[in-house]
Amino acid sequence: TPLASAFSTRSNNSLLADIKISGRVNDDKGVGLPGVTVVVKGTSSGTSTDVEGNFSLTVPDNATLIISSVGFVTQQVPVAGRTTFTVALVTDSQALSEVVVTGYQTQKRADLTGAVAVVKVDEVKGMTSNNVVNNLQGRVPGVQVTTDGSPSGANAAVRIRGFGTLGNNDPLYVIDGIPTKTGINQLNQNDIESIQVLKDASAASIYGSRAGNGVIIITTRKAKKGVTRVDVSSFVSAQTPGPHIKMLNTNDYGRIYWQAAINDGATPNIPFYNFQSHQGPNGQPVLDNVVVPEFLDAAKTQRTADTDWFKETQQTAIVQQYNVNVSNGGEHGGVLFSLNYYKNSGTLKFTGADRWTGRLNSDYSLLGDHLKIGQNLTVSKLQEAQYDLNLIRDRSSQLLNIVPVHTVDGVGWGGPVNGIGDRDNPVRLLTDNQQNRSDLYRLFGNGFADAEIIKGLHLRTSFGIDYSLYKYNELYKTFTAGYLSNANNRVTNNESTFGNWVWQNTLNYDLSLGGGDHTLSVLVGNERISYNQEAFYASRTNFASQDPNYIVLDAGSANKDNGGSANSYRLASYFAKVNYAYKDRYLLSGTVRRDGSSRFGADNQFGIFPAVSGGWRLSEESFLKDKVAFISDLKLRAGWGQTGNQDIASYASRAIYQSSLGTLDPNFAYDIGTAYDIYGNDTNLLSGYRRVQQANPNLKWETTTQTNIGADFGFLGNKLTGSVDYFIKNSTDILVNLPYLGVVGEGGDKFVNGASIRNSGWEFLLGYQNTLANGLTFNVTGNLSTYRNKLTYLPDEVINAYGGNGQDVTRLGHSINAIYGYVADGLYQNATEVSGGPTQVGAAPGRIRYKDLNGDGKIDNFDQTWISEAIPDFNYGLNLGASWKGFDVQVFLQGVQGLYANNNAKFRTDFASLASGENWGQRLLDAWSPTNTGSSVPSLTLVNSNNEGRASTYFIENASYLKLRNFQLGYNLPTALVSKIRLQNVRFYVQGQNFFTIKSKQFTGPDPEVTNYQYPVPRVFTAGLNVSF
Amino acid sequence: NDKSFLNVSPTGALDDSQLNTPDNIEKQVIAAYSQLGNDIYYVPYTSMWPYGNVRGGDAYKGGGGTADVDAFHFYETFTFNRVDISNTDEFWYRMYLSISRANDALRRLDAIDVAAMPNKAVRQGEMRFLRGHFYFLLKEMFKYVPYIDETIPTDQYPTISNVALTNDALWSKVADDFRFAVANLPATQSEIGRANKSAAQAYLAKTVLYQAYTQNATNAVTGIDATKMAEVNSLCDAVISSGKYALHSDFATNFLTSGDNGVESVFAIQFSRNDGTPKGRTDRGNELNYPMNPDYGCCSFHQPSQNLINAFKTDANGLPRFTDFNTSGDLVTAGDFLSTTVDPRVDHTVAVVGHPFKYNPTFVFDNSWVRVPGVYGYNLSMKESVLPTDPSFQKTPPFMSSSKNWAIIRYADVLLWKAEALIELNRSSEALPLMNQIRQRAQNSTGLLKSASGAPTSNYKIGLYPAAGFSQSYAREALRFERRMEFAMEGCRFFDLVRWGIAAPYMNTYFAKEKNLRQYLSTANFTAGRDEYMPIPINQINFSKGLYKQNNGW
Repeated sequence: TPLASAFSTRSNNSLLADIKISGRVNDDKGVGLPGVTVVVKGTSSGTSTDVEGNFSLTVPDNATLIISSVGFVTQQVPVAGRTTFTVALVTDSQALSEVVVTGYQTQKRADLTGAVAVVKVDEVKGMTSNNVVNNLQGRVPGVQVTTDGSPSGANAAVRIRGFGTLGNNDPLYVIDGIPTKTGINQLNQNDIESIQVLKDASAASIYGSRAGNGVIIITTRKAKKGVTRVDVSSFVSAQTPGPHIKMLNTNDYGRIYWQAAINDGATPNIPFYNFQSHQGPNGQPVLDNVVVPEFLDAAKTQRTADTDWFKETQQTAIVQQYNVNVSNGGEHGGVLFSLNYYKNSGTLKFTGADRWTGRLNSDYSLLGDHLKIGQNLTVSKLQEAQYDLNLIRDRSSQLLNIVPVHTVDGVGWGGPVNGIGDRDNPVRLLTDNQQNRSDLYRLFGNGFADAEIIKGLHLRTSFGIDYSLYKYNELYKTFTAGYLSNANNRVTNNESTFGNWVWQNTLNYDLSLGGGDHTLSVLVGNERISYNQEAFYASRTNFASQDPNYIVLDAGSANKDNGGSANSYRLASYFAKVNYAYKDRYLLSGTVRRDGSSRFGADNQFGIFPAVSGGWRLSEESFLKDKVAFISDLKLRAGWGQTGNQDIASYASRAIYQSSLGTLDPNFAYDIGTAYDIYGNDTNLLSGYRRVQQANPNLKWETTTQTNIGADFGFLGNKLTGSVDYFIKNSTDILVNLPYLGVVGEGGDKFVNGASIRNSGWEFLLGYQNTLANGLTFNVTGNLSTYRNKLTYLPDEVINAYGGNGQDVTRLGHSINAIYGYVADGLYQNATEVSGGPTQVGAAPGRIRYKDLNGDGKIDNFDQTWISEAIPDFNYGLNLGASWKGFDVQVFLQGVQGLYANNNAKFRTDFASLASGENWGQRLLDAWSPTNTGSSVPSLTLVNSNNEGRASTYFIENASYLKLRNFQLGYNLPTALVSKIRLQNVRFYVQGQNFFTIKSKQFTGPDPEVTNYQYPVPRVFTAGLNVSF
Repeated sequence: NDKSFLNVSPTGALDDSQLNTPDNIEKQVIAAYSQLGNDIYYVPYTSMWPYGNVRGGDAYKGGGGTADVDAFHFYETFTFNRVDISNTDEFWYRMYLSISRANDALRRLDAIDVAAMPNKAVRQGEMRFLRGHFYFLLKEMFKYVPYIDETIPTDQYPTISNVALTNDALWSKVADDFRFAVANLPATQSEIGRANKSAAQAYLAKTVLYQAYTQNATNAVTGIDATKMAEVNSLCDAVISSGKYALHSDFATNFLTSGDNGVESVFAIQFSRNDGTPKGRTDRGNELNYPMNPDYGCCSFHQPSQNLINAFKTDANGLPRFTDFNTSGDLVTAGDFLSTTVDPRVDHTVAVVGHPFKYNPTFVFDNSWVRVPGVYGYNLSMKESVLPTDPSFQKTPPFMSSSKNWAIIRYADVLLWKAEALIELNRSSEALPLMNQIRQRAQNSTGLLKSASGAPTSNYKIGLYPAAGFSQSYAREALRFERRMEFAMEGCRFFDLVRWGIAAPYMNTYFAKEKNLRQYLSTANFTAGRDEYMPIPINQINFSKGLYKQNNGW
């Protein structure tokens, strides 16, 4: 038996000379590791490190120390007569004994049979991002993150294994066991202990109806037994705005306008330019000079300018974060408290966000560890500019440079005059809205009790809450900016409360039979979720003062208005899971979940979501184990399962009529009002009801069926590790709000179980880590993933509603993002080409030539095709890390390859005809002309007679890129120095993000990641300090 | 248990069956009325200005340049109009949305027992009146449209083609709704906003008038149905003899808030503000059509054409200059309006630089109030606008709006429809007093047309048609001219031209001269047999899976 042999070994060793040794075990950043096991090889004698990572031990002088800790690669260190040691443990990316949270239970990583990606929190926790999910960008194969630069981090989107549905593709987040679909940008990154991504159905199916888009499980930090520790950290970043499209300056705009008008055969005539031209030798007018008057307006308040609106609206943002984390772990429980403050002033002026997050996690063991009770709670407050920030970017490219920021008095606002479109001054928009900031308070957490009834049998109950309070007081100011003005101010108070409770009960039984050959765990449970939302607003106009202290509603004197709404849904679920392992070699897992949702028709409220998966650990087989030395671990996995989606309007199955007195802002949407002044006296308006949607009592769950096969491997003592996965994901009965024939009329909307989509793809992950003799520790991790997406079924009645020619060409077989349009075949060079070409309304020299795809001699609706699938060939990421003597460096690259995207900015940069009265791009300076025939930019014109804004390959560009996402250099003060001042660890670092981009030459925009006008992704430079004591 | 836990009732919503009580049916009737004015500037179906005026040579699109709402530019120039312009598709959808509200109310009205709802037939009449109105708009825009009434189950809609009915049969369907309304509506309604019998008679007259001009497959007018013309005449007589309507003594009253629901208003959209709704129920279809000065701010759309302005010239007898109005110099400067005699209606209709805007002598229209005069000239439309000081004025930043009513039918229309019918029935002498009634009123409408000094703004001279020489052909020309002067910028010109079968030659003649003034018209050309109607939106053809057939020439 093991015990006997230990004794015998000891007695043998006791013949040798013993020496007293001492040492310290650090992590790869030089931070002392508590609780590391230090054992003499071949014996059971040993110790573990103290809080600071120190140990001392008496050992034979020829002994070898085995130093191990969960989550690190075990090291063997020969004593060889030395008495002091410093050992650096390397994080084990494939730590097989690591415990992974997989849904209402935990499993050893070695036992996983589904496609579960474990994010290396160590790698990402240094990232200074405002939203945890941004840190996943490029890190996990099969997970795509797109984001913009908004200071609150609210606009990050996560897609796991492609686009599985036609509606909301956001994954489900499960934080400390509590599911939520609302954004997680209020989470304090420093609180995070682990992140797991459940990618395939066999893993995610336990979450049933809401797991169709994958699940991201986040576990927050808890106090560690016997450890009292205070971590203080802070960083400061400077962010500079990302690149923007280049617009014409005042003089060039005049030149382009003149030439475009001349090309149209018109007399250039714009109120604020005088053109001096003469007749050229060929009879064509030649522009000599563009003269700009001193003032734009007759009243001489607006001095003509050359305003760079991007420059005027941007700034270098300062980002600060302060974090304190106090944890105290005792024998029978522990408490962790953290407080975090984050502030980002925004790269657009007055758009900053700031956030407070507090956390209290505690747990207690009672009744001889048979009862564990505890709670997790986060309270956060996020304040952010509540304004359509994308609009600012839009306006900056729209308003002509000739408009000054301010009028000559330096106070009033510059704005459009005749000849300039009704686009407001973006500096005014930012300035006049700076007081318009919303507060979002969120309470998220749970209380739980876990009783061990008999050994291995746990009964657990948890009651969780996720409630938010949104408050937003808006002051819409009076203003005059050119011909735009508003004489009445208005204050609107908005308040909304929303959120849910979730009650979970589980019974978990772990047992081991046949002398440990059979291990079995069984989970059964239920869950109920109840969501409610309620909102109201009230507003008045005519406030005598716009002072922030004055603008309470009572102070307004006219137009009292108010409104409100409410919404709720509920879920009731039952689930069970069985995990079985035979001799740690053959793994089998099965789950089943039955979910009921109030959103579906009464007859179809319940859906059943089963899954099975299996694993085979070849490396445990006798023909491999200890026979093939370089294989440390090898596991084959296969899984099949179903997940669901219920993400539709809460009352989607019912026919609904609603009253809607009038539309709040009917300028940019149809007025849908139901009130009418039937008395003709402007008061006591009667109102009726409008149909909002049609009923579908048969509405049921959307189902995603996914098959996954994969392998995990570790070679050379787990120095080289990785995994490969292939998946096929079929979504059927996809919930769609059917587009409908116009004659159906109002409220023709109807949710049905319509389309089917198929996603499939490969995912690869490969990592290498090692420590060299000189103490240099390094790791390289790369990942690459692909997915293909195609629509496989559409109901007959809507088959033409998703693109196509209305006859034989439909979206079937193409990606749901695929773009349908014309093929732009260069530009017509001369009149002969035009007359010789197919009939194309608007064709002329210098105009885009569209391909006559069906060869019928005319360009029409039937000459369109699928011009891009808009799916990249692959996504990839590469992380390089190294540390040496307290220094560490990390480099992270992320890229997208083979994506052909619609570059919307081209509407602005390449045409003077698609937006009149608005600024145009500098690319027009190189537009086609009879003497500049090499250009790909169409000839200048003010009139879009050739319909060049139509969807065509003209706008499709190679949006592949490779970005340096992160470069970080850190230094940990030597332990000896740090201990003298009674600290555990001191670390400094500097970091740069988004510092360079490699893009395709074909891409004409500034940044392939930004094909619209969203908040620019900034470049970030950060300096930070972490202290622990 | 789970069933009861999962039974979550919608909030703030009713289901279909809850709306079948008499009280709620009354509300559904209101919802249908409210759709009359639920407009938006890029698909304006209340005033119909882009389709009726811009396509008819009375107005330029205006605004910030030819690319500003370029759909209307393509409507204006015809050459580049397309089957896939989204504004056309949205117009189509908005009409059927409106029809669906009327059908919703009708479905409930049909089912309810008259004992429970004694005014059932009246409300049915009102709903069929509204449905008739929306089908009329569809009909004049697209010619061939699917006809769907409240008796057809929703699942049958995809089986009904736009060519299931002939042009004539479709007109009869529209007329049937008005006939029902005539039969069931009371002479007066206690609520002013509701349609009454006279309104239904008037709209039926209009419908039958359109139907009377028969068209062939290529949109050419092939004949005039005398029986229908006689019916138009008698329907108009019924309205006239009701004694409820008259012309306002001053033409201006029709275009002032104070004239809302006045004696000339046969049927109008009731707009309102400060009415308890969030932003008022105001006139949004015209909200681009205001000057660019600081009192307003935007957007200078809907500018009268030079051709229209010139048409207001009068000869020595104060009669229209049928042949030379557009070849005798352009009316541009304020001086031009003093050196030439003009019909007073020009200063009610057209904003002229140097003239008071909207009857306010101290609020003088300035050339800076126009947005891109180099493209669209210096004039703006005034009938739809109100003064910034008017109680009905409502800013809807960045646009302008008002709660002034918009007339669907005013009494002048009834008089001229009758006159048109009489002329086509070769009873021109009976048409003469009707037309002179209109001209007499115009003659009397100079009271508000004064400059700050009190002098008349222009040199007004308008005379009555003499009985001598009032032959059918002369009368027809005079009638057509009179309609243009009286209803300029009110949304009907193009549809008049198509009804009379003269759209193609008229428009191409117009372009030939007008393009010398407005260069963007140089590519404009009206294709006979095609451009009389909008194309059926390609979206709708695709959604119908080819059941809908495209209009001729498209």
